Amino acid sequence: MSLRFIKPGLQTSLQDSGRSGFMHHGIGAGGVMDSDSASLANWLVGNPANAAVLEITLIGPVIEFLSPMTIAVCGAEFVLSLNEFPIENGESIEVEKGDILTFGHRESGSRAYLAFSAEPDVEKCFDSFSTQLSAGFGGFKGRAFQANEELALKKIRQTKTRRLPRSLVANYLGKYLFRCCPAVETEKFETSVLQKFQQSAYQVSADSNRMGVRLIGEPIDYQAIGEIISGGLTQGSIQLPSSGLPIISSVDGQTIGGYPRIANIISADLPLLGQLRANDRVRFQIVTLEKAVNFLRQKQAYYNRLLAGKLTAH
Amino acid sequence: MARVSPLLSQYIHQLSENLKNHKPQCVNEIIPAYRSLTVCFDPLIFEHKIVEEQLEKVIAQSYFNDLLEANETLIKIPVCYQGDFASDLAFVAETNNLTCEQVIERHTKPTYLVNMLGFLPGFLYLSGLDESLHTARKAIPALQVEAGAIGIGGGQTGIYPFASPGGWHIIGQTPVKIFKPESDTPFIAKPMDHIQFVPIDEAEFQRIARSENEFSGVDISEKNRL
Repeated sequence: MSLRFIKPGLQTSLQDSGRSGFMHHGIGAGGVMDSDSASLANWLVGNPANAAVLEITLIGPVIEFLSPMTIAVCGAEFVLSLNEFPIENGESIEVEKGDILTFGHRESGSRAYLAFSAEPDVEKCFDSFSTQLSAGFGGFKGRAFQANEELALKKIRQTKTRRLPRSLVANYLGKYLFRCCPAVETEKFETSVLQKFQQSAYQVSADSNRMGVRLIGEPIDYQAIGEIISGGLTQGSIQLPSSGLPIISSVDGQTIGGYPRIANIISADLPLLGQLRANDRVRFQIVTLEKAVNFLRQKQAYYNRLLAGKLTAH
Repeated sequence: MARVSPLLSQYIHQLSENLKNHKPQCVNEIIPAYRSLTVCFDPLIFEHKIVEEQLEKVIAQSYFNDLLEANETLIKIPVCYQGDFASDLAFVAETNNLTCEQVIERHTKPTYLVNMLGFLPGFLYLSGLDESLHTARKAIPALQVEAGAIGIGGGQTGIYPFASPGGWHIIGQTPVKIFKPESDTPFIAKPMDHIQFVPIDEAEFQRIARSENEFSGVDISEKNRL
Protein backbone atom coordinates (compact mmCIF):
# COMPACT_ATOMS: atom_id res chain seq x y z
CA MET A 1 0.00 0.00 0.00
CA SER A 2 1.93 2.97 -1.27
CA LEU A 3 2.57 5.44 -4.02
CA ARG A 4 5.83 5.68 -5.91
CA PHE A 5 7.62 8.67 -7.38
CA ILE A 6 8.76 7.84 -10.91
CA LYS A 7 9.90 11.48 -11.08
CA PRO A 8 9.93 13.53 -7.87
CA GLY A 9 9.37 17.02 -9.33
CA LEU A 10 11.27 20.08 -8.15
CA GLN A 11 10.24 19.92 -4.49
CA THR A 12 7.50 17.49 -3.53
CA SER A 13 7.09 17.05 0.20
CA LEU A 14 4.67 15.58 2.71
CA GLN A 15 2.77 18.29 4.63
CA ASP A 16 -0.33 18.61 6.77
CA SER A 17 -1.90 21.60 8.48
CA GLY A 18 1.24 22.00 10.58
CA ARG A 19 2.21 22.18 14.23
CA SER A 20 0.93 24.12 17.16
CA GLY A 21 2.56 24.84 20.48
CA PHE A 22 6.27 24.48 19.61
CA MET A 23 7.20 28.04 18.70
CA HIS A 24 8.88 28.60 22.06
CA HIS A 25 11.36 25.92 20.93
CA GLY A 26 12.00 27.72 17.67
CA ILE A 27 9.73 25.34 15.76
CA GLY A 28 7.21 27.18 13.64
CA ALA A 29 3.86 26.06 12.32
CA GLY A 30 5.20 24.51 9.13
CA GLY A 31 2.68 22.58 7.07
CA VAL A 32 1.08 23.44 3.74
CA MET A 33 1.73 26.98 2.53
CA ASP A 34 -1.65 27.24 0.80
CA SER A 35 -4.02 25.79 3.38
CA ASP A 36 -7.10 26.73 1.30
CA SER A 37 -6.09 24.51 -1.62
CA ALA A 38 -4.94 21.68 0.66
CA SER A 39 -8.27 21.76 2.57
CA LEU A 40 -10.27 21.66 -0.67
CA ALA A 41 -8.22 18.72 -1.98
CA ASN A 42 -8.79 16.92 1.31
CA TRP A 43 -12.52 17.66 1.17
CA LEU A 44 -12.68 16.13 -2.31
CA VAL A 45 -11.34 12.80 -1.04
CA GLY A 46 -13.35 12.84 2.20
CA ASN A 47 -10.40 13.63 4.49
CA PRO A 48 -10.44 16.06 7.40
CA ALA A 49 -9.13 19.47 6.27
CA ASN A 50 -5.88 19.02 8.21
CA ALA A 51 -4.93 15.62 6.73
CA ALA A 52 -1.54 14.98 5.14
CA VAL A 53 -1.13 15.84 1.45
CA LEU A 54 1.71 16.16 -1.04
CA GLU A 55 2.86 19.73 -1.60
CA ILE A 56 4.07 20.05 -5.19
CA THR A 57 6.17 23.08 -6.15
CA LEU A 58 6.61 24.60 -9.66
CA ILE A 59 7.63 21.37 -11.42
CA GLY A 60 5.33 18.46 -10.72
CA PRO A 61 6.10 14.76 -10.21
CA VAL A 62 5.13 11.58 -12.04
CA ILE A 63 3.46 9.23 -9.55
CA GLU A 64 2.54 5.56 -9.78
CA PHE A 65 -0.22 4.38 -7.44
CA LEU A 66 0.51 0.93 -6.06
CA SER A 67 -2.95 0.54 -4.49
CA PRO A 68 -6.42 1.67 -5.54
CA MET A 69 -7.51 4.91 -3.81
CA THR A 70 -9.22 8.25 -4.43
CA ILE A 71 -7.11 11.33 -5.15
CA ALA A 72 -7.63 15.01 -5.92
CA VAL A 73 -5.37 17.89 -6.97
CA CYS A 74 -6.07 21.53 -6.04
CA GLY A 75 -4.04 24.73 -6.03
CA ALA A 76 -1.57 25.62 -8.79
CA GLU A 77 -2.94 24.65 -12.16
CA PHE A 78 -0.91 21.93 -13.92
CA VAL A 79 -1.77 20.00 -17.07
CA LEU A 80 -2.64 16.65 -15.47
CA SER A 81 -2.95 13.25 -17.05
CA LEU A 82 -3.75 9.80 -15.74
CA ASN A 83 -2.28 7.10 -17.99
CA GLU A 84 -2.13 9.67 -20.82
CA PHE A 85 -5.81 10.70 -20.40
CA PRO A 86 -6.36 14.32 -19.37
CA ILE A 87 -7.89 14.88 -15.94
CA GLU A 88 -9.00 18.02 -14.14
CA ASN A 89 -7.93 20.01 -11.13
CA GLY A 90 -10.57 20.27 -8.43
CA GLU A 91 -12.32 16.92 -8.72
CA SER A 92 -11.80 13.58 -7.05
CA ILE A 93 -10.59 10.69 -9.14
CA GLU A 94 -10.53 6.97 -8.40
CA VAL A 95 -7.20 5.44 -9.33
CA GLU A 96 -6.37 1.76 -9.78
CA LYS A 97 -3.22 -0.12 -8.90
CA GLY A 98 -0.58 0.72 -11.54
CA ASP A 99 -2.18 4.00 -12.66
CA ILE A 100 0.32 6.74 -13.44
CA LEU A 101 -0.41 10.42 -12.74
CA THR A 102 1.72 12.91 -14.67
CA PHE A 103 2.01 16.58 -13.78
CA GLY A 104 2.71 18.41 -17.04
CA HIS A 105 3.07 22.09 -17.81
CA ARG A 106 2.22 24.48 -15.00
CA GLU A 107 -0.38 27.01 -16.16
CA SER A 108 -0.72 29.21 -13.08
CA GLY A 109 0.19 29.45 -9.42
CA SER A 110 3.13 27.86 -7.67
CA ARG A 111 2.04 25.01 -5.40
CA ALA A 112 -0.42 22.19 -6.08
CA TYR A 113 -1.76 19.85 -3.41
CA LEU A 114 -2.43 16.17 -3.99
CA ALA A 115 -4.77 14.65 -1.43
CA PHE A 116 -5.24 10.88 -1.15
CA SER A 117 -7.87 8.84 0.72
CA ALA A 118 -5.34 7.30 3.10
CA GLU A 119 -2.87 8.14 5.85
CA PRO A 120 0.88 8.24 5.34
CA ASP A 121 2.54 5.34 7.17
CA VAL A 122 5.35 7.43 8.65
CA GLU A 123 6.05 8.62 12.19
CA LYS A 124 4.77 12.03 13.19
CA CYS A 125 7.45 14.46 14.36
CA PHE A 126 6.44 17.15 16.87
CA ASP A 127 2.86 16.07 16.45
CA SER A 128 2.68 16.53 12.68
CA PHE A 129 3.41 14.86 9.34
CA SER A 130 4.85 18.13 8.03
CA THR A 131 8.33 18.20 6.55
CA GLN A 132 10.59 21.01 7.78
CA LEU A 133 12.88 21.08 4.74
CA SER A 134 15.48 23.57 5.97
CA ALA A 135 16.00 21.92 9.36
CA GLY A 136 15.57 18.42 7.90
CA PHE A 137 12.96 16.80 10.13
CA GLY A 138 9.41 15.50 9.91
CA GLY A 139 7.48 14.10 6.95
CA PHE A 140 9.36 11.63 4.78
CA LYS A 141 12.98 11.47 6.05
CA GLY A 142 12.93 15.22 6.72
CA ARG A 143 13.26 16.06 3.04
CA ALA A 144 11.59 16.22 -0.37
CA PHE A 145 10.94 12.97 -2.24
CA GLN A 146 13.52 11.58 -4.66
CA ALA A 147 13.07 9.43 -7.76
CA ASN A 148 11.92 5.85 -7.14
CA GLU A 149 11.06 6.43 -3.50
CA GLU A 150 7.79 5.08 -2.15
CA LEU A 151 5.50 6.70 0.37
CA ALA A 152 3.90 3.91 2.41
CA LEU A 153 0.19 4.41 3.11
CA LYS A 154 -2.29 2.94 5.57
CA LYS A 155 -6.04 3.07 6.19
CA ILE A 156 -6.76 3.36 2.47
CA ARG A 157 -10.44 3.98 1.74
CA GLN A 158 -12.53 4.40 -1.37
CA THR A 159 -14.73 7.47 -1.26
CA LYS A 160 -17.46 8.81 -3.44
CA THR A 161 -16.21 11.31 -5.98
CA ARG A 162 -16.93 15.01 -5.81
CA ARG A 163 -16.21 18.11 -7.82
CA LEU A 164 -15.57 21.69 -6.73
CA PRO A 165 -17.86 24.43 -7.98
CA ARG A 166 -16.19 26.32 -10.85
CA SER A 167 -15.80 29.43 -8.71
CA LEU A 168 -13.47 27.54 -6.39
CA VAL A 169 -11.15 26.11 -9.03
CA ALA A 170 -8.22 28.44 -8.74
CA ASN A 171 -6.85 30.57 -11.52
CA TYR A 172 -3.85 32.55 -10.33
CA LEU A 173 -3.21 35.75 -12.24
CA GLY A 174 0.12 36.64 -10.68
CA LYS A 175 -1.07 39.99 -9.28
CA TYR A 176 -2.12 40.05 -5.66
CA LEU A 177 -3.25 42.47 -3.00
CA PHE A 178 -2.37 41.34 0.51
CA ARG A 179 -4.37 42.95 3.26
CA CYS A 180 -2.48 43.57 6.49
CA CYS A 181 -3.09 44.50 10.10
CA PRO A 182 -0.87 46.83 12.05
CA ALA A 183 2.08 45.04 13.73
CA VAL A 184 4.07 45.81 16.88
CA GLU A 185 6.26 48.53 15.35
CA THR A 186 3.80 49.89 12.73
CA GLU A 187 3.03 53.02 14.73
CA LYS A 188 6.72 53.83 15.06
CA PHE A 189 7.03 54.35 11.31
CA GLU A 190 6.30 57.78 9.85
CA THR A 191 3.03 58.14 7.93
CA SER A 192 4.97 58.69 4.70
CA VAL A 193 6.69 55.31 5.16
CA LEU A 194 3.38 53.52 5.71
CA GLN A 195 1.96 55.30 2.64
CA LYS A 196 4.89 54.27 0.50
CA PHE A 197 4.54 50.69 1.77
CA GLN A 198 0.93 50.64 0.58
CA GLN A 199 1.54 52.44 -2.72
CA SER A 200 4.48 50.35 -3.91
CA ALA A 201 4.13 47.51 -6.38
CA TYR A 202 6.64 44.83 -5.44
CA GLN A 203 7.93 41.90 -7.42
CA VAL A 204 8.44 38.50 -5.80
CA SER A 205 12.14 37.57 -5.71
CA ALA A 206 13.29 34.15 -6.91
CA ASP A 207 15.04 33.98 -3.54
CA SER A 208 11.72 33.08 -1.83
CA ASN A 209 10.76 29.77 -0.24
CA ARG A 210 8.77 28.14 2.58
CA MET A 211 10.70 30.23 5.12
CA GLY A 212 9.90 33.58 3.62
CA VAL A 213 9.02 35.67 0.60
CA ARG A 214 11.51 38.33 -0.44
CA LEU A 215 10.44 41.27 -2.54
CA ILE A 216 12.11 43.46 -5.15
CA GLY A 217 11.11 47.07 -5.81
CA GLU A 218 11.94 50.60 -4.85
CA PRO A 219 13.42 50.48 -1.33
CA ILE A 220 11.66 52.44 1.40
CA ASP A 221 14.12 54.92 2.81
CA TYR A 222 13.28 55.32 6.47
CA GLN A 223 14.73 56.82 9.61
CA ALA A 224 15.87 54.25 12.14
CA ILE A 225 12.94 53.82 14.50
CA GLY A 226 14.98 53.19 17.60
CA GLU A 227 16.52 50.02 18.89
CA ILE A 228 14.62 46.85 18.07
CA ILE A 229 15.19 43.92 20.40
CA SER A 230 14.56 40.52 18.82
CA GLY A 231 10.95 39.46 19.27
CA GLY A 232 8.33 36.99 18.01
CA LEU A 233 7.50 36.47 14.35
CA THR A 234 4.58 34.53 12.96
CA GLN A 235 3.42 33.51 9.53
CA GLY A 236 2.61 36.72 7.64
CA SER A 237 4.86 39.00 9.70
CA ILE A 238 6.35 41.62 7.37
CA GLN A 239 9.76 42.87 8.48
CA LEU A 240 11.38 45.97 7.02
CA PRO A 241 15.17 45.56 7.25
CA SER A 242 17.53 48.45 6.58
CA SER A 243 17.61 47.50 2.88
CA GLY A 244 14.10 49.02 2.76
CA LEU A 245 12.61 45.97 1.02
CA PRO A 246 9.96 44.06 3.00
CA ILE A 247 10.40 40.36 3.85
CA ILE A 248 7.30 38.24 4.56
CA SER A 249 7.63 35.32 6.99
CA SER A 250 6.01 32.08 5.87
CA VAL A 251 5.24 28.66 7.34
CA ASP A 252 8.85 27.59 8.03
CA GLY A 253 9.98 31.09 8.95
CA GLN A 254 12.08 31.95 11.97
CA THR A 255 10.13 32.32 15.23
CA ILE A 256 12.13 35.31 16.46
CA GLY A 257 13.54 38.14 14.38
CA GLY A 258 15.33 41.43 14.88
CA TYR A 259 14.02 43.77 12.17
CA PRO A 260 11.09 46.13 12.74
CA ARG A 261 7.71 44.62 11.86
CA ILE A 262 5.80 47.02 9.64
CA ALA A 263 2.61 44.94 9.26
CA ASN A 264 1.08 41.45 9.47
CA ILE A 265 -0.76 39.83 6.57
CA ILE A 266 -4.31 39.02 7.68
CA SER A 267 -5.13 35.34 8.28
CA ALA A 268 -7.66 35.23 5.43
CA ASP A 269 -4.95 36.13 2.90
CA LEU A 270 -2.09 33.96 4.22
CA PRO A 271 -2.81 30.90 2.04
CA LEU A 272 -2.15 32.94 -1.13
CA LEU A 273 1.52 33.23 -0.11
CA GLY A 274 1.82 29.62 -1.22
CA GLN A 275 0.94 30.53 -4.79
CA LEU A 276 3.51 33.30 -5.22
CA ARG A 277 6.30 32.70 -7.67
CA ALA A 278 9.22 34.76 -8.95
CA ASN A 279 8.18 38.01 -10.68
CA ASP A 280 4.56 37.94 -9.43
CA ARG A 281 3.28 41.40 -8.46
CA VAL A 282 2.39 42.12 -4.83
CA ARG A 283 0.78 45.12 -3.14
CA PHE A 284 -0.17 45.73 0.47
CA GLN A 285 -3.12 47.46 2.10
CA ILE A 286 -3.42 48.07 5.83
CA VAL A 287 -6.88 47.35 7.26
CA THR A 288 -8.24 47.40 10.80
CA LEU A 289 -8.18 44.36 13.04
CA GLU A 290 -12.01 44.28 13.01
CA LYS A 291 -12.05 44.07 9.21
CA ALA A 292 -9.36 41.39 9.25
CA VAL A 293 -11.46 39.22 11.56
CA ASN A 294 -14.55 39.83 9.43
CA PHE A 295 -12.75 38.76 6.25
CA LEU A 296 -11.70 35.55 7.99
CA ARG A 297 -15.21 34.93 9.31
CA GLN A 298 -16.75 35.42 5.86
CA LYS A 299 -14.24 33.09 4.29
CA GLN A 300 -14.82 30.44 6.96
CA ALA A 301 -18.59 30.70 6.47
CA TYR A 302 -18.15 30.18 2.73
CA TYR A 303 -16.01 27.08 3.25
CA ASN A 304 -18.42 25.74 5.85
CA ARG A 305 -21.27 25.99 3.34
CA LEU A 306 -19.15 24.09 0.85
CA LEU A 307 -18.32 21.40 3.39
CA ALA A 308 -21.99 21.08 4.26
CA GLY A 309 -22.57 20.27 0.60
CA LYS A 310 -24.61 23.36 -0.18
CA LEU A 311 -22.31 24.66 -2.87
CA THR A 312 -21.64 21.43 -4.74
CA ALA A 313 -22.52 22.34 -8.29
CA HIS A 314 -21.78 19.95 -11.10
CA MET B 1 22.29 43.87 23.88
CA ALA B 2 21.18 46.70 26.06
CA ARG B 3 18.07 46.34 28.17
CA VAL B 4 18.28 42.55 28.31
CA SER B 5 18.34 41.23 31.84
CA PRO B 6 18.22 37.80 33.49
CA LEU B 7 15.52 39.01 35.87
CA LEU B 8 13.31 40.21 33.03
CA SER B 9 13.85 36.92 31.16
CA GLN B 10 12.86 35.02 34.28
CA TYR B 11 9.70 37.11 34.62
CA ILE B 12 8.79 36.54 30.97
CA HIS B 13 9.20 32.77 31.33
CA GLN B 14 7.16 32.82 34.53
CA LEU B 15 4.43 34.70 32.67
CA SER B 16 4.66 32.19 29.84
CA GLU B 17 4.20 29.27 32.31
CA ASN B 18 1.24 31.00 33.97
CA LEU B 19 -0.32 31.55 30.54
CA LYS B 20 0.11 27.88 29.65
CA ASN B 21 -1.66 26.85 32.84
CA HIS B 22 -4.44 29.41 32.57
CA LYS B 23 -8.01 28.30 31.88
CA PRO B 24 -9.67 28.94 29.49
CA GLN B 25 -6.69 28.25 27.25
CA CYS B 26 -7.24 30.97 24.68
CA VAL B 27 -3.79 31.09 23.10
CA ASN B 28 -2.23 28.39 20.96
CA GLU B 29 1.32 29.73 20.69
CA ILE B 30 3.50 31.62 23.16
CA ILE B 31 6.83 33.05 22.00
CA PRO B 32 8.92 34.41 24.87
CA ALA B 33 11.76 36.71 23.79
CA TYR B 34 14.20 39.10 25.52
CA ARG B 35 11.67 41.80 26.32
CA SER B 36 8.42 40.54 24.88
CA LEU B 37 5.95 37.69 24.84
CA THR B 38 4.11 37.08 21.57
CA VAL B 39 0.90 35.04 21.65
CA CYS B 40 -1.17 33.58 18.83
CA PHE B 41 -4.87 32.80 19.03
CA ASP B 42 -7.70 31.83 16.71
CA PRO B 43 -9.93 34.91 16.37
CA LEU B 44 -12.84 32.73 15.21
CA ILE B 45 -12.81 30.91 18.57
CA PHE B 46 -11.79 33.70 20.95
CA GLU B 47 -12.49 37.36 20.32
CA HIS B 48 -9.54 39.70 20.52
CA LYS B 49 -11.12 41.51 23.47
CA ILE B 50 -11.59 38.26 25.43
CA VAL B 51 -7.97 37.23 24.84
CA GLU B 52 -6.80 40.66 25.97
CA GLU B 53 -8.86 40.38 29.17
CA GLN B 54 -7.50 36.91 29.90
CA LEU B 55 -3.92 38.08 29.29
CA GLU B 56 -4.42 41.03 31.61
CA LYS B 57 -5.70 38.68 34.28
CA VAL B 58 -2.60 36.49 34.02
CA ILE B 59 -0.30 39.52 33.98
CA ALA B 60 -2.03 40.92 37.08
CA GLN B 61 -1.42 37.60 38.85
CA SER B 62 2.27 37.40 37.88
CA TYR B 63 4.61 39.52 39.90
CA PHE B 64 8.25 40.32 39.36
CA ASN B 65 9.04 38.74 42.69
CA ASP B 66 6.84 35.73 41.98
CA LEU B 67 9.74 34.01 40.32
CA LEU B 68 10.60 30.45 39.49
CA GLU B 69 13.11 28.86 41.80
CA ALA B 70 16.54 29.95 40.68
CA ASN B 71 17.62 27.56 37.95
CA GLU B 72 21.11 26.31 38.66
CA THR B 73 21.44 23.85 35.81
CA LEU B 74 24.80 24.20 34.11
CA ILE B 75 25.25 22.35 30.85
CA LYS B 76 28.83 21.92 29.70
CA ILE B 77 29.27 21.76 25.95
CA PRO B 78 32.57 20.43 24.59
CA VAL B 79 33.97 22.57 21.77
CA CYS B 80 36.95 22.01 19.50
CA TYR B 81 38.49 25.41 18.74
CA GLN B 82 41.11 23.97 16.37
CA GLY B 83 41.86 23.56 12.67
CA ASP B 84 38.99 23.41 10.21
CA PHE B 85 36.47 23.59 13.05
CA ALA B 86 37.55 27.18 13.75
CA SER B 87 37.69 28.77 10.30
CA ASP B 88 37.19 32.36 11.54
CA LEU B 89 39.00 32.14 14.90
CA ALA B 90 42.08 33.97 13.58
CA PHE B 91 39.89 36.71 12.11
CA VAL B 92 38.03 37.24 15.40
CA ALA B 93 41.36 37.34 17.27
CA GLU B 94 42.93 39.81 14.85
CA THR B 95 39.86 42.08 14.73
CA ASN B 96 39.84 42.34 18.50
CA ASN B 97 43.63 42.59 18.96
CA LEU B 98 43.78 39.30 20.80
CA THR B 99 45.61 36.02 20.34
CA CYS B 100 43.61 32.91 19.39
CA GLU B 101 44.36 31.50 22.86
CA GLN B 102 42.87 34.63 24.47
CA VAL B 103 39.71 34.32 22.38
CA ILE B 104 39.29 30.69 23.47
CA GLU B 105 39.98 31.58 27.09
CA ARG B 106 37.46 34.44 27.08
CA HIS B 107 34.86 32.36 25.25
CA THR B 108 35.11 29.40 27.65
CA LYS B 109 35.32 31.40 30.86
CA PRO B 110 31.75 32.76 31.29
CA THR B 111 28.60 30.81 32.01
CA TYR B 112 26.04 31.93 29.47
CA LEU B 113 22.35 32.32 30.27
CA VAL B 114 19.83 30.73 27.90
CA ASN B 115 17.40 33.66 27.49
CA MET B 116 15.11 31.78 25.15
CA LEU B 117 14.90 29.27 22.31
CA GLY B 118 13.90 30.42 18.87
CA PHE B 119 14.90 31.80 15.49
CA LEU B 120 15.72 28.29 14.21
CA PRO B 121 14.42 25.02 15.70
CA GLY B 122 16.43 24.32 18.86
CA PHE B 123 18.56 27.47 18.63
CA LEU B 124 19.59 28.91 22.01
CA TYR B 125 19.73 32.66 22.54
CA LEU B 126 22.67 33.09 24.92
CA SER B 127 23.71 36.18 26.83
CA GLY B 128 27.01 36.80 28.56
CA LEU B 129 29.53 37.08 25.72
CA ASP B 130 32.70 38.90 26.81
CA GLU B 131 32.60 42.38 25.28
CA SER B 132 36.15 42.10 23.96
CA LEU B 133 34.89 39.32 21.63
CA HIS B 134 32.03 41.24 20.02
CA THR B 135 32.58 41.07 16.25
CA ALA B 136 30.32 42.50 13.53
CA ARG B 137 28.63 39.84 11.38
CA LYS B 138 30.06 38.85 8.02
CA ALA B 139 28.99 41.18 5.20
CA ILE B 140 28.27 38.13 3.05
CA PRO B 141 26.89 35.12 4.93
CA ALA B 142 28.63 31.77 4.39
CA LEU B 143 26.54 29.45 2.22
CA GLN B 144 27.02 26.46 4.48
CA VAL B 145 27.80 26.33 8.19
CA GLU B 146 28.09 22.90 9.83
CA ALA B 147 25.69 21.63 12.50
CA GLY B 148 27.27 22.30 15.89
CA ALA B 149 29.37 25.24 14.66
CA ILE B 150 29.98 27.85 17.36
CA GLY B 151 29.71 31.40 16.08
CA ILE B 152 30.04 35.00 17.15
CA GLY B 153 27.76 37.57 15.50
CA GLY B 154 27.83 41.08 16.91
CA GLY B 155 27.37 40.79 20.67
CA GLN B 156 25.96 37.28 20.51
CA THR B 157 27.44 33.80 20.54
CA GLY B 158 25.55 30.66 19.64
CA ILE B 159 25.52 27.13 18.31
CA TYR B 160 24.12 26.28 14.86
CA PRO B 161 21.56 23.50 15.55
CA PHE B 162 21.83 22.08 12.01
CA ALA B 163 23.72 22.85 8.81
CA SER B 164 22.52 26.14 7.30
CA PRO B 165 23.75 29.34 5.72
CA GLY B 166 25.04 31.78 8.35
CA GLY B 167 26.56 35.19 8.87
CA TRP B 168 28.39 34.56 12.15
CA HIS B 169 32.14 34.07 12.51
CA ILE B 170 32.86 30.42 13.26
CA ILE B 171 35.34 29.92 16.10
CA GLY B 172 34.76 26.25 16.92
CA GLN B 173 32.45 23.27 16.70
CA THR B 174 30.78 20.93 19.17
CA PRO B 175 30.35 17.22 18.40
CA VAL B 176 27.24 17.23 20.59
CA LYS B 177 23.93 17.33 18.77
CA ILE B 178 22.06 20.24 20.30
CA PHE B 179 18.82 19.56 18.38
CA LYS B 180 17.61 15.96 18.05
CA PRO B 181 14.12 16.07 16.50
CA GLU B 182 13.61 12.28 16.71
CA SER B 183 14.57 12.03 20.37
CA ASP B 184 12.38 12.18 23.49
CA THR B 185 14.60 15.04 24.63
CA PRO B 186 15.05 17.05 21.43
CA PHE B 187 16.54 20.18 23.02
CA ILE B 188 19.82 20.33 24.91
CA ALA B 189 18.70 23.16 27.19
CA LYS B 190 15.67 25.12 28.31
CA PRO B 191 15.27 28.82 29.05
CA MET B 192 17.12 30.03 32.18
CA ASP B 193 19.60 27.11 32.05
CA HIS B 194 23.26 28.02 31.94
CA ILE B 195 25.77 26.92 29.33
CA GLN B 196 29.52 26.72 29.49
CA PHE B 197 31.85 25.82 26.64
CA VAL B 198 34.70 23.40 27.43
CA PRO B 199 37.68 23.25 25.06
CA ILE B 200 38.55 19.82 23.65
CA ASP B 201 41.06 18.64 21.04
CA GLU B 202 40.31 16.98 17.71
CA ALA B 203 40.80 13.45 19.03
CA GLU B 204 38.26 14.05 21.78
CA PHE B 205 35.91 15.64 19.21
CA GLN B 206 36.05 12.50 17.06
CA ARG B 207 35.54 10.23 20.08
CA ILE B 208 32.43 12.12 21.22
CA ALA B 209 31.11 12.39 17.65
CA ARG B 210 31.35 8.59 17.31
CA SER B 211 29.52 7.94 20.57
CA GLU B 212 26.86 10.54 19.62
CA ASN B 213 26.23 8.61 16.44
CA GLU B 214 26.17 5.22 18.17
CA PHE B 215 23.87 6.25 20.99
CA SER B 216 21.96 9.13 19.58
CA GLY B 217 19.67 9.18 22.59
CA VAL B 218 22.48 9.54 25.13
CA ASP B 219 23.00 12.91 26.72
CA ILE B 220 26.72 13.27 27.20
CA SER B 221 26.60 16.78 28.59
CA GLU B 222 27.59 17.01 32.22
CA LYS B 223 24.98 18.59 34.39
CA ASN B 224 26.58 20.21 37.40
CA ARG B 225 25.50 22.63 40.04
CA LEU B 226 26.77 26.14 39.48
